[in-house]
Amino acid sequence: MNTKRLLSITLLAALVLTCVSCRRRSDGSSVTGEDPFVTTQGTVEVTARLVEVPEGAIFKRELYDYATILKYQVLKVHRGQIQGDTIFVGHYNPFKARAEAPDRRVKEIGGNLPSFQAGQTHRMALEVPIEDFFMGGIVNKYFGQEIGPLYWAVWTNLAGK
Amino acid sequence: MNNARTESMVLTVGFILAIACAGIWQAIVEIGGGRPLQALDLFRRVPTAANLRAYERDLEDASWLTKQLRPGMQYRQFVWLKEAGEKVLIGRDGWLFYKPGVNVLLSRPRPISGNPGADDPVAAIVAFREALAERGIELLVVVAPNKESVYPDKLTWRAAGMSGVVGPKTVGLLRRLDAAGVKTVDLFAVFDRVRQTGGPPLYLIQDSHWSPEGVAVAAKAIAGQIIDYGWIERGDIAFEIRPAVVERVGDVLRMLQVPRLEQEAVPETIRCGQVIRSDTGATYKDDPDSQVLILGDSFLRIYETDEPGSAGLIAHLAGQLKQPLTSLVSDGGASTLVRQELYRRPALWKNKKIVVWEFVERDIELGAEGWQIIPLLPIGKNSE
Repeated sequence: MNTKRLLSITLLAALVLTCVSCRRRSDGSSVTGEDPFVTTQGTVEVTARLVEVPEGAIFKRELYDYATILKYQVLKVHRGQIQGDTIFVGHYNPFKARAEAPDRRVKEIGGNLPSFQAGQTHRMALEVPIEDFFMGGIVNKYFGQEIGPLYWAVWTNLAGK
Repeated sequence: MNNARTESMVLTVGFILAIACAGIWQAIVEIGGGRPLQALDLFRRVPTAANLRAYERDLEDASWLTKQLRPGMQYRQFVWLKEAGEKVLIGRDGWLFYKPGVNVLLSRPRPISGNPGADDPVAAIVAFREALAERGIELLVVVAPNKESVYPDKLTWRAAGMSGVVGPKTVGLLRRLDAAGVKTVDLFAVFDRVRQTGGPPLYLIQDSHWSPEGVAVAAKAIAGQIIDYGWIERGDIAFEIRPAVVERVGDVLRMLQVPRLEQEAVPETIRCGQVIRSDTGATYKDDPDSQVLILGDSFLRIYETDEPGSAGLIAHLAGQLKQPLTSLVSDGGASTLVRQELYRRPALWKNKKIVVWEFVERDIELGAEGWQIIPLLPIGKNSE
């Protein structure tokens, strides 16, 4: 097998993997992010776009568990009320997939989001204010810039555009 | 010649398969689970140094193969070789230590520049003290010693005979705070004196935190200093101590994330003292209108909101001062995060005369989000 052929096969395989990885699921739930949990938990439910992941905001530390504040542009409010179209949401240990995030300290959270990426659309069940629902450290790269309360993410599903 | 070529081909292909199979299998697992390929995250982030490091870390953490192999490897490393990885040090007599904390103890202080920036604890503490002084509130800083600073002899036989060491960074911080007129409680000296008299350990064996004895000693020292300064008088609420026994697998042991080690570990039996109000028989509870606000980290949380409850530093300090306190606790966040939270809760300033600010020694260097200068209140807000 010559080098050119090997390279072509490798590139083709990478392309196939990329397409398979980025494919949309055929069921409607992944497009809307709707499931029985996100529609019933928390007092506020929104579909929102994750504006960015600030550098150093999501990290893993061994001794302690933190919530991290992330900035969202709200696309649709399904339940409850919010002020404005930008909200700041605290996610517990966001370096973990949402399904793996609950632990003995914070039990009532979850979702199907595997990892946080800027630009993603999330359907979230929220509580507010965060201080009433989470007693640990809150890493907030937007300190002083937030307008309004900080929200606490109870359920976070990935939604399509 | 042909044999040599075949051998080298087999070796090359075998080697490529060995290093590629983990990635290929990971891709199969992710696609099978309906998840996007994590390897492609490389193209979804701006390729900064931090993002590339995070990408590498995320790949490692998410690896199916690593998850299968790591616990067994770590268990054998721990049991056979007494090696606990990059975060934990195995000391003498079963004592465990948090390695990054030990590194802080051993490292040299950085030279102080004219503009120390956001990571200078002294600048943040002095700014906080000045903001409090404008409101007529006193500040008392309490550095909770790292376990290894109080028990260096349990870390290594080379420190046998030593009952306490204070790292150069801590010495530098305490000197600079003293020079700036910030009041501090020297728990290093207090714990050293108590160790000389014998008695139960002031720290837990498998955990990074202090024991109930350490809590009681610290509470007495802090209360004594507050009363000596004449900032407030002792209150008139009598508290009693009720024994409560809990069993706890230490945080340092749990941090290894080796389930088999946790299952086989014998939890420490911890004899706590729960603080009870003599008049009502109820366990200690905070008062948001108290004269004293205590801020801190997990050194306040342990035994207080953790089991058995109302037996931590907050309750014991209240017992010593004969009055309930207001408290705000941020696990691992006493350097900056707890003051950010305080900023969002201006109601907590009501009636305050004293702020006791506790942080663990290692946070001088490792405090989450550094040591930012945080205003006391949002502009236009007043708690009075």
